[in-house]
Amino acid sequence: MNILFSLFIKLSAFSALAFGGINALLPALYELSVVQEHWLDTQTFANFFAIAQAAPGPNLMTVTLIGWHVYGLLGAIVASIAICWPSSIMIYYLQGYIGRLSDPIKKQTIQFAASALAVGLVLGSAWNISQQINENEKAFALTFISIAIVVFTRWHPLYLIAIGGALGILGFI
Amino acid sequence: MQPKTLTPKQLFIGFSKIGLSGFGGVLPWARRKIVEQEKWLTSEEFNAMLGISQIVPGPNIVNLSICVGSRFAGVKGAFAAALGLMLGPSAIVILLGLLYEQYHSLTAVQGMLRGISAVGIGLIAGTGFKMMRNEFSFPPMLLVIAVTVIAAGYFHLSLGLVVLIASPLAVYLAWKKAQKI
Repeated sequence: MNILFSLFIKLSAFSALAFGGINALLPALYELSVVQEHWLDTQTFANFFAIAQAAPGPNLMTVTLIGWHVYGLLGAIVASIAICWPSSIMIYYLQGYIGRLSDPIKKQTIQFAASALAVGLVLGSAWNISQQINENEKAFALTFISIAIVVFTRWHPLYLIAIGGALGILGFI
Repeated sequence: MQPKTLTPKQLFIGFSKIGLSGFGGVLPWARRKIVEQEKWLTSEEFNAMLGISQIVPGPNIVNLSICVGSRFAGVKGAFAAALGLMLGPSAIVILLGLLYEQYHSLTAVQGMLRGISAVGIGLIAGTGFKMMRNEFSFPPMLLVIAVTVIAAGYFHLSLGLVVLIASPLAVYLAWKKAQKI
């Protein structure tokens, strides 16, 4: 019961801070689940991240998988609810407030500040988490190539995921 | 003409389809379904809701489901939409988790997941760089990004601390930017 409680409380706290969504949360999630609580090892964390990327659905499925690993089906449910409820309540009330803001300066200030924070957190998160789960130079090379393809082309992400998986199966990564 | 209300059941079904079709990011599918296929919202309404979903912390797509659901059917609608979005994909990843437990020791499986996670990080960083393009219209804002990236990526500060350090500067510069435009 203790571990479920701690899963719920800690993930709930993250939810309210996750500017930039789940992607910005990955290092915090790693720190909590691998370094502090030892719920899983680095390898399993990296693999859950990969499974969530390859599966359909919101990218918060990494969190669902960690919950499942910690406490089975109940853990998965608790983790998924925890990561959603604080932000869901916030947006339920804030959407009306932001929508009704008549002062365009105020409205834009909120919007610009949040989007700059989101960009910084997402990039910082990718940098941080790459140091944890990319095992060698070849993995980093694949990450950099993927970045270039995302930025400069309009390829569907699924192609990249398929290519990454295939390279891995063939033993290149 | 778009209907003024949708039942929670319709929202549940609609968002289930969105969640299950969302390979490699759900947002493009959400737009296709909500704006183009079902015509629940106009493109402008969708963009406004998406903007608010991305301002508020938390999983963006869940935030969007709360906005859309509550707009059409109040609290019940919000629950129905969020539940629809999460239920199917959760079942799938748990099934994949079970398979993973059986087969994770196979070299091919380990290699495949290594390859996918390296690409996955690239997808996240690439999206981050794309989002950054908008910030060049007011270059001082790049300072906020630099501070945040260094605090989170180099010093490995905790998320709460990073937000605490960077947000005063972000709000100040955003206020300047809003006045300039």
